[in-house]
Amino acid sequence: MVSGKPSKIKSFKSDKNFNYILVLLCLTLVFLGKLDLIAVRNVKAFLSDFLAPVTYALNKPVKEIAGVFEDVKSAGSLREENVRLKSEVRKLRVINSKASSQELELLELRELLKVLPERKNQIITGRAITAPGGVFANTLLINAGKNYGIKIGQPAISSLGLVGYVVNVGLKTSRILLIIDINSMIPVYLTNSNWPAVVQGQNGKLLKIKFLSSKAVPIEGEVIQTSGHGARLPSGINVGKVVKSFSGKFYVKPTVDFHRLTYISIITNKTSLPVLTKTFQDFAPLQKPDSSLSLKGLNLSGKRIFESPED
Amino acid sequence: MNFQKSLSFFSLFEIATPNVISILIYFCVIRFNINPSNTVLFFLGLIHDIINGENLGTTTIFLLLFKYFTKIMLYEKFNKVNQEEWIFFTLIFIFSFTIVLLLNIVINFSIPELSPTFFHIGITLILFPIINIGINFFSFVTQFIKS
Repeated sequence: MVSGKPSKIKSFKSDKNFNYILVLLCLTLVFLGKLDLIAVRNVKAFLSDFLAPVTYALNKPVKEIAGVFEDVKSAGSLREENVRLKSEVRKLRVINSKASSQELELLELRELLKVLPERKNQIITGRAITAPGGVFANTLLINAGKNYGIKIGQPAISSLGLVGYVVNVGLKTSRILLIIDINSMIPVYLTNSNWPAVVQGQNGKLLKIKFLSSKAVPIEGEVIQTSGHGARLPSGINVGKVVKSFSGKFYVKPTVDFHRLTYISIITNKTSLPVLTKTFQDFAPLQKPDSSLSLKGLNLSGKRIFESPED
Repeated sequence: MNFQKSLSFFSLFEIATPNVISILIYFCVIRFNINPSNTVLFFLGLIHDIINGENLGTTTIFLLLFKYFTKIMLYEKFNKVNQEEWIFFTLIFIFSFTIVLLLNIVINFSIPELSPTFFHIGITLILFPIINIGINFFSFVTQFIKS
């Protein structure tokens, strides 16, 4: 027992040196990964493709058990839920009747003004393989990749609004960077006042509002939508609603519940690259006005549209 | 690793999942005298980063640091009484996690919302004694059956 002790300490010291080497190697990997090299990206995409079926198979039982727990939990509040849903249906019926008459009016006005018809989005819907959320990264893997024409930069949506955008594509899987991730920045506009801004994720539940004019006064509950600036994302996709913190600062609460996501749609006909290569020959700080890029909150000459609150 | 990630399907762990792997490494080294090899931890961390889309290498750094501090504690014999296990785990976990958190702040050039971070640390520290009791109970039952 005593004779074995020095050899144990010796092995610990050699282990320590190996540990240092591995930590240094990892640090190099971290910075290489941050450089976003195509080779690193391709390796990641290949390995994600390779590990996706295993991940899905291992996640399945835990997901099922979690589903059972949720069902049991919700069973206790079925009566309250039923009452709430009935009142919601009544409200929605009223809204629906109003909306159908307004839709007809809108169509007539569009016809009168000869508004250019909007291009219909092509959508590919995939199933989420991994669970979202994490302390350092908020991404999702879906089971559709290059085989369905998905490319990097394409927006991911759900029925409630914007989920994020594609950051890496493999042959059979795609990785989506969620809007709540710290590396995600989305150009948006405030729907009531038309002020443009950028929302940034914080790896939490709320999004930070950045580059908002000091003249802008956000209203609590105001809807935030994508503005289409930069031509990376289409305009008019719901992002969230403005909420006020205890400190008086305004944040955006996403409309999408990222933990209930099962199916995610990718808008496959929206990529930033063709627009950029076509339009910019030299350095251009501002985008050239293009009638096909309907930028919300700005008119064709690039000036901000003012709308009265009564409208 | 995958189990740890899939825990976020439970509404309790929506904000952040507990770091189960660090608890397992701690028990392997301290309780069961199993020394997980650095190479295994290296690849385990890389697989975790690839599955979760995190920066390649961050989880590996955490796992290697965690194992290193645990081994230091074991060889320097800080932990003489078994009751102090939880305190030492807390210190090692928080120290290793803080290093990785700072690294992430430097890489992203932005400070993340701290509530998921605190939740992650808190839920891991709460889970540690529960797993400890579970292991003790299991070993008690096996010994009882054997006798």
